[in-house]
Parts: sequence; structure tokens; C-alpha cells
Amino acid sequence: MELLTGILATTLLAGGVLALAALGEVLAERVGVVNLGAEGLMAMGAMTGVATVTAVPSPALGFAAALVIGALFGAVFALATATIRANQVLCGLALTLIGTGLANTIGRSYSGMPSPAVFEHVRVPLLSDIPILGPALFSQNVLLYLIYIILPVALHYLLFHTRHGLNLRAVGENPAAADAAGIPVGLIRFAYVTAGAALCAGAGAYLTLAFVPSWSDGMVAGRGWIAVSLVIFAGYRPVNAVLAALLFGLITSIGFVGQARNWPVAAPFLSMLPYLGTIALMIVPVLAWHKVRRLMAAPAALGEPYYRDLR
Amino acid sequence: MRQGLRLQRLPSVQPGVALGMRALAIAIVVLAASLVLLAAGEDPLALGAQLVTATFSSTFGMEDFGLLVIPLILTGLSVAVGQQVGAWNIGAEGQFLLGAFAATTVGLFVPGPAVLILPLMIAAGALGGLVWILVPTLARAFAGVNELITTLLLNFVAALLVYYVSTGPWRDRVGMSNSSTARITVEVPEFWGLVHWGLPIAIVMALAAAATLAFSRWGYEVRLSGSNPSAAAYAGIAVRRHIVTVMLLSGLIAGVAGAFELAGTVHRLQGGISNNFGYLGIMVAVLARNSCVGVIFTGTLMAFILNSGIILQTQGITTSAVLAMTGAILFLTAIGDELAHYRIARAGARGS
Repeated sequence: MELLTGILATTLLAGGVLALAALGEVLAERVGVVNLGAEGLMAMGAMTGVATVTAVPSPALGFAAALVIGALFGAVFALATATIRANQVLCGLALTLIGTGLANTIGRSYSGMPSPAVFEHVRVPLLSDIPILGPALFSQNVLLYLIYIILPVALHYLLFHTRHGLNLRAVGENPAAADAAGIPVGLIRFAYVTAGAALCAGAGAYLTLAFVPSWSDGMVAGRGWIAVSLVIFAGYRPVNAVLAALLFGLITSIGFVGQARNWPVAAPFLSMLPYLGTIALMIVPVLAWHKVRRLMAAPAALGEPYYRDLR
Repeated sequence: MRQGLRLQRLPSVQPGVALGMRALAIAIVVLAASLVLLAAGEDPLALGAQLVTATFSSTFGMEDFGLLVIPLILTGLSVAVGQQVGAWNIGAEGQFLLGAFAATTVGLFVPGPAVLILPLMIAAGALGGLVWILVPTLARAFAGVNELITTLLLNFVAALLVYYVSTGPWRDRVGMSNSSTARITVEVPEFWGLVHWGLPIAIVMALAAAATLAFSRWGYEVRLSGSNPSAAAYAGIAVRRHIVTVMLLSGLIAGVAGAFELAGTVHRLQGGISNNFGYLGIMVAVLARNSCVGVIFTGTLMAFILNSGIILQTQGITTSAVLAMTGAILFLTAIGDELAHYRIARAGARGS
């Protein structure tokens, strides 16, 4: 019983990091920009979160500060990729190196210390007393409700049930047609890439203010890249992305359980599970179901800069 | 038609302009870093002078620098070779680690004379790098799975594997360290001072790759498969087969880099042996515009930047700061490459 509760709670906690980052990546990719800087943005967000709560012990403020830093870095990235139209892969890799390097450099003085203020668990009365499910679902930090319910539903509604959502998907699918219809392609790309970057940095702050909770070098450990892969696996849909993140939370929690219960497998091998799982999930569905491939296709203009003159 | 000047985007870039943009990107980042140092109360000019003297005025400095050139030429070559078919090998870091791991396996467990063991270690390293890129290669060639992400994710798996063996079963039980294997006695012979034969071999590998790509039929087919896959397929070129061979070759080169680093420079397998060489290799290849001859020069340049970071460590600069600076150069280079496409033309006059 307790084991089940533990697995479920850890799944939600671990999946939250990936879900938030993946939602940010969905925003950028839906308007046609691949942001490979997610890893670097998460590192900056994670470090910013700890640095902020060290100065002012408010986790909400730390999270907000990470969103602001993410938006700043995102705006620079968007300026390069959406406005100047430089190579998205190179700019993304560069952002990963800058974010990771800068976060490690600035964060040295906070390294290894526990975060002075974290998001506390909130017990929902009555519901949290349900056996097994109660403690896992209804006695968690408040961010999880934002990540698993509010954001995915809001983004799904925005993308698929509003006029504005139709416009921004058009920018990702066929920028020339969108442009002809009077949609400001450059502006929309800039705005959503920036917003997406803010969410990625927020995912980093979630890591240090709710999940781990402390800062150390290299703690993002490829989660940004896993989030990028999840978006592909989830067919660029916000609700699917969150569900896929839960699947990864489950893989991670199996690793944790294995370590806690002294399974006869060395800890480093259990830590490999999320990476190997991601690779398997990128390959297997493509091989298995060819129809799925079409249904889950990437936005048609993903990764391609848009030049009005060269139409 | 409007009168006056307007911007015109050309389909290709002149190499000279691209080179100038790279120099400008590096200059801007060095200037920015100097300003940060100045704000922190350091004297950037004195530090710069200290760097040059520390690197070039002593044999010791030159040796340290030379040892960094070897892995950076090779990882840069690895990335540049992959780019010939349009493949992003961001996993050079992991293939490097597997190369070092495989060479260690031979060094620790295969007895025999050094003359035999050394080539075997390098060959094992090559095989290790090749095996590590095998799954991403097949997934890319036969299922269209993005190799950039799969190669990258395997870096983390490789790091965990090396961490496990070097702190666990293969830990040095005699020495004081408990985070590395025992010293491997078979070594790459020295070429100049402490700099081993890996340096000339790396340069020869780069030249050989460049010559094969430029002058052989195979090289022509590979380059065509990379620049225009549909035209290549139409001309009867086996594009998929070229993607597979070239990606495997890319992994192999990174594996050789790891084997040389182990057998020539570090001599013990340990967690940090890859030292971001794989990631810095991306930078080396991009600066060289994926030219296999170019990586010899940009690898040397990158070694100087990395070496500077190591020398300045006492001044509070870390390898992380070097990584951030590298990223900034890469970012500005990407922007510069795009800007290099534009030229100012008189309105009304349509070129090309």
C-alpha cells in the first residue's frame, strides 16, 4: 500500500518537471521554432529559483523570478531565431551551453545547500484521506495542480478552440499562408517562443523549489532534452505532453523505488532508465504504427525560418 | 519601384564573409568577458598577457596546450564528418567516453606486450564509439528518428556507465583514489615533450577525411547525399547507406579521441575524462564550417580558449564559464552566418 502511494506520489513529482518544460516546448514548436535550449533554460531557472529564495524566502517569488529570467533568455533566443532567422539548431545548442555554463558559474555559492524555502505540501481536506490515492494526489505542492490541470487544459483550449490558436498553429504549419491572411508571423513566433522559454525556466525552478530541493552543478541532467523528445512523442499536443511526462515520472520513480528497496542493480543503472526509456519511446512508436506517425506529425514549417521575399 | 537602398538575401555565403563573422563573434565575446572581469576588479589586459606567457613561453605550458588540441581536433572532426550527410552528432561526448571505456577494458584485462596492446586499445576505442552511435544511426536511417536527440541522450548513459565502473568494480584498490581505475601502463609514446603521437595522428585523420571527401567518388556521393538527398537518390546514389556509414564513422572518430585521451593523456578511466570535449567539438566543427581541414585550426583555437579557462581558474574563472563563453560565441556565429547572407543592393536592381 505504502509502496503504491510512494510510486504514485514520486511519479507526479518527477513528471512535473518534464511536464512544465514540455508544455513550454510545445508553445515554441507549435509556432514553428525548435528550442533546443530547454536544458540551459531549466538550469538558469533552477539556479534563479534558489538564488531568489536565499534572498527572500518566498517560493512563489523564486518561481516568478525564474519565469522572468526564462522570458529574458527566451526573448534573446526569439530575437535570433524568429526575427533575425538564424539557424535554430545552432542557437538552441548555444543557449543550452550558455544557460548551463552561466548557471553553474553564478550558482557556485549556492551549490549543495538545501533551498531555504520550498513549496509546501498542501493537504486537501477529506480527499487527502482516501487510501493510496489521497496522499499521492491531494497532499502535494500547489504547483502540481498548475502543471497537471490548469496549464494543459488552458493551452489545449487556446490552441484548438480559439481563433488565436488557429492563427498561431497556422504560423507553424504554413507561415506564408498565415502571412497572406494578415497574421503577424514574426511577432507571434517571438511571443510564443519567449513564453515557452519562460515555462522551461519555470520547470527548472520547480526542480529546486519543489522536487529535489537544492541546487548543484549539472542537476538538470538532461531533463531539458527529455522534455524536447516528449513533445515529439506527444505529437505536439499539450495534454498528451503532460501524460507522456507522467509516464517518465513513473520510469524515474521505479528507479527511486529500486534504490530505496536495495534491488540487486547498481544505482547508476537505475538512473539510466529515463534516458534509455526516452530513446525507446522515440523509436518504437515510429516502427510500430505508421498511421500514428501521420497523426502525430510535426508542424509542417517546424525549424524553418520564414522569409516573405522568398515565398 | 522605390528608390534607394534595400537589403537583399543571397542564397549562399562567401567563405571570407563567414570567416569574418566568426572572428567578430569571438572578438565580441572576449570583449564582453573582459568587461565582466573589469567590473569584478580584475585587469583583463594583464590577465591576457598572463595567458599568452603561461601558454607559449614555457615548454610546460605548450605541452598542456598541445594535449588539449588532440581531443578537440578529433571531436570536431567527428561532428564535421556527421554533418557531411546532414547528421547532427551531438553524442560525441558519449562516444568519447565509450572509447575511453573500451580502451580501459583492453588495458586492464588483456595481457601482452605494449606493441600489441596499444593498437588494440585504440581499435577497441574506435569500436566503442561506433557501437555507441549504432542505435541512433539505424533509427535515423530506417525510422527517421531525430539523431540529434538520441545521440545526446546516450551521453548521459555513457557518463553513468563510466562513473559506475570507475567508482565501483574497476576502482583502483591500491592507490588512494576511489574515483578512478588503476593506472594503465600501456601508453601512447611521446611525440614532443609530453605531447603524444595522438597529435600527428589526429591531424593525419583530419587530412585523410578531407581528401577522401573531396577527391573520391564515395566522398562526392556522401556530399551530394548531405546537400540534396532527393537529387542524390534520383541519381541512383544509396543515400541511406551513406548516412549509415558516415554516422558510424563519426562515432568511430569520437571513440578514437576517447581512447587517445585515456592511453595518451589521462591513463586512468574516471568520470570527468570527457571534460566536455564532445560538446566543444560541436563548436570546433561549426567554427570550421564543417571543413575537415578547418577543424585542425579551429580545434587548436578552441584548445587555446579552454586552456585559458584552466589557467585562469585561480582568478575565479571555471570550466563552466568557458562553456558559457563558448555558447555565446556559437550563438553569435549562428546570427553572423545568417547576416552574412545579406547584401545591400540598389532598389529595383534584382540580382541573381
